[in-house]
Amino acid sequence: MRYRMSVVVLGILLAAGLAVLGGPASNNLVIGASQEPSNLCPWEGAADTKENLMGIFNVGLTYIDSSGVLQPGLATEIPTESNGRLVVVRDATGQVTRQQVVWTIREDAYWSDGVPITSDDAIFTFKVQNTQEMMVTTRAFSNLVEEIVKIDDKTFRITYGTPNLFYSSVGGSIGLARFYDIAPKHIWGPVYDQVMAQIAAKPENASTIIEGQFLGAPSSTGTGAVVGSGAFKFVEWQINQFIRFARRADFFLAAPGPASNYLQEITVRYIVAQPTLLSGIMAGEIEACDDISLAGMEPAVLRAQLGSQAVVEVTASGFIEKLNFNLFPSCQVAADLLLGDKRTRQAIIQAIDRDDLARTVYPGATVSNSFLVDGDIGFDAALNPWPYNLAAARTLLADLGWADSDGDGTLERTVGGRAIEFRLHWVATTADFRIRTGEILQEMLADVGIKLEVENLPGSVVFSSEYLNHGSECTWRGIVEYAEAGGIGQAPADPLSNELWANDLLEVPVDAELENTPLPENSFGGTNIMGWVSAEFDQLRADALREFDPDKRSAIVKLMQQLYNEELPTVPLYDRSEIVVKMAGLVNYTKGTAAARTQFWNTWEWGWAQNGAVAVR
Amino acid sequence: MATYLVRRVLQLIPTLFVISLLLFGLLAMKPGDPIDEMRRGNPGFTQADYDRLREFYGLDKPWYVQYWRWLGRVVHGDFGTSRQFGRPAAEYVFKYRLPNTVLLSGLSLLLSFSVAVPAGVWSALRQRGFVDYTITVVSFVGVSIPIFWMGIMLIYIFAVQFRGFLPAGGLATPGVTGTWPILGDRLRHLLLPVLALSSLQVAQWTRFMRSSMLETIQLDFVVTARSKGLSERQVIFKHALRNAILPLITLMGLNVPALFSGAILTETVFNWPGMGRAIYDAILVNDFNVAMVSLMFISLLVLLFNLLTDIAYALVDPRIRYG
Repeated sequence: MRYRMSVVVLGILLAAGLAVLGGPASNNLVIGASQEPSNLCPWEGAADTKENLMGIFNVGLTYIDSSGVLQPGLATEIPTESNGRLVVVRDATGQVTRQQVVWTIREDAYWSDGVPITSDDAIFTFKVQNTQEMMVTTRAFSNLVEEIVKIDDKTFRITYGTPNLFYSSVGGSIGLARFYDIAPKHIWGPVYDQVMAQIAAKPENASTIIEGQFLGAPSSTGTGAVVGSGAFKFVEWQINQFIRFARRADFFLAAPGPASNYLQEITVRYIVAQPTLLSGIMAGEIEACDDISLAGMEPAVLRAQLGSQAVVEVTASGFIEKLNFNLFPSCQVAADLLLGDKRTRQAIIQAIDRDDLARTVYPGATVSNSFLVDGDIGFDAALNPWPYNLAAARTLLADLGWADSDGDGTLERTVGGRAIEFRLHWVATTADFRIRTGEILQEMLADVGIKLEVENLPGSVVFSSEYLNHGSECTWRGIVEYAEAGGIGQAPADPLSNELWANDLLEVPVDAELENTPLPENSFGGTNIMGWVSAEFDQLRADALREFDPDKRSAIVKLMQQLYNEELPTVPLYDRSEIVVKMAGLVNYTKGTAAARTQFWNTWEWGWAQNGAVAVR
Repeated sequence: MATYLVRRVLQLIPTLFVISLLLFGLLAMKPGDPIDEMRRGNPGFTQADYDRLREFYGLDKPWYVQYWRWLGRVVHGDFGTSRQFGRPAAEYVFKYRLPNTVLLSGLSLLLSFSVAVPAGVWSALRQRGFVDYTITVVSFVGVSIPIFWMGIMLIYIFAVQFRGFLPAGGLATPGVTGTWPILGDRLRHLLLPVLALSSLQVAQWTRFMRSSMLETIQLDFVVTARSKGLSERQVIFKHALRNAILPLITLMGLNVPALFSGAILTETVFNWPGMGRAIYDAILVNDFNVAMVSLMFISLLVLLFNLLTDIAYALVDPRIRYG
């Protein structure tokens, strides 16, 4: 009897737990994502996943649509010289030295708690961004802002003391907040005042105060009022599980037809393991995934597994996977292998069948020949494609004095009486596709007599400054492989802020210090971890940064790419792809271009065709 | 006994201090810091930003200076903030992670013990019989199947093939409200991970219990008990089992702290936010505060459970006395 009772109770409990969460039946959507944001703070954070998530309940002054066109968001229109909202000041040589941009916020723009969005919010946002005590991850664009002035409740003017070609773009380039430009003053103002008061009282505790009170504020951790400017409003965040949002009735952008035809709730569930995420999709618990979570999976396999119930889309990510060479003369091992001689790098790129590699390790990826991606300002599609050519690779290596004199299959040469074997160290993270890459490169380079010594280390080790920035001390002594954001042609990845430059020639007067090449003299600072120093490239970069005309800038950027493609300080392997899975019937869940920097840019249009949502993308 | 207990508890303080020093030193030796994590995937991050933030967080100081600052905060009950989640590290570990692990590991422990002890005893009492062979084969299968594979198979069968019968993972279904639905929902989410986590323990402990029982029932005192005319039930459960279970108690005592930190595969496959994944992720992304509070907690558990095991010995075995 007791046993039967237990079974009945268990059955009731299990049945009570059955719940319909997403899908057309409820007009909701459950998205699966592998990475959770650290917080919802508008100023701090870097991960793509946060850009996606913030996009559900925020919209910037502008946004980039799925065709790559910049559209006004909170702003009434995009400032241009022709509409008088952009005023540029040029010097005698015609170069832009300063610029002023006037923005007007829409009259019908409200925060999700009903408070109007005003110029005061914008000015406050910049005040926080510009407060030196504040833990703000980067000030790359806000440092260009000279002042921001309120004109009226809805209009404000930003003055840039240095030209900012990306003055109207997304991703923090306007210079206010990193995420979605404007933050709600009525929510964050009291937090800011409290934090600053505490720091003033105990300046020695600034970091713990900011971590605890600012990044740990209820509006940041989702334990208090989270207010946004977007189509959906925040409902709850169960940490390590999910975040829920509900449609706003008072959002100013609308899709065709009644709002009730479109999604009413969006839930983002965090699932770390790819097999579990995939199981969730197959089990019908997840109806779509973000553009990060299924990276590296084979689209054809996914299509076969999911059948007609789902759509699998492959798009460019804007990230280029590449081999970075140690070019520091001080690293003896690298110097012995002649890595500093461009012919060595040219031989290596021709010894790698990059088409085959991309197809095998990163399905959907396309071979890259530049440090930019398609869509960037000045992207040059006509660069030397460096086709797979073993004969050419062998000839170049022979010209450099390499020969397999002992017949063991590995090249040798003699320097000052020292016999040197071509043993090339390669290091990358432990991501599955990189482990596979190591194996494939090992086989390919063996064909030209290069013995690749493969090492896969955790990402936290590979990307640590003690490791990556100490190539001059041979912490890594051959190649380190990782991906870098392509130029995008938009902020925050200004094509000219990449890792290739060595000396910032924009300073007045120009000094000889190599600011961007990690050396003991600059405390190993900088992002040019290869140690590639090209005065010509640096000059072109400086010229391009001073050039405000997009066409002229494009021409200079093309010259930079030609130089890069010839010198190959890094060997570009492929433009990485991203995979998005969505259930059949989910419309307008369309990834923006790489320039948009976010997948979730048009949540107000998302809906189920079964419920009358109209596909406009 | 009381003196012994006080002495052992007092010994915990210097032991924990040395452990904290070692852990902090080891984490500091690991390449990378939280600022490297901020730089990753942030193309606008400049060297000036990097230098500014390192100074801001005091990461430009030697590790022992950072350790003293950390220790100074800890003695005031402040374990710092999780840079991964912007919450107090202790709150993150003890409020959001530990309860999930206690629930999962506790139920798994209970299930494993409830199944393994009777199965082991039964197997021993039916040595070389059908039951013994069946339990032995099942135990070997359980020991041989990796937990992650078992988990994936369970998900495939109960969540994918029988679509919607049980959830594929997670802690709870978003949006479920009401006491009974929440309870039922939690139970549905627990079933598969508990089964997966218990499978290995049940198999191992059954084998262990069987061996121990087999040894015990051949000892003289069991023969004496039988010769005194006690019923077989009394011989087995009152005399033999109490002695045979002693080694299993030791094993469990040593295993319990590991359960709090070591269910990482089960947690990952079933997307169960527990301690194992918290520690792993914290170390990977250089979230030192979370790593330190978690590892210190696990260290404390190891020390405490060693102490508890010793006490349990004394309670179960009247021959053991501490003075």
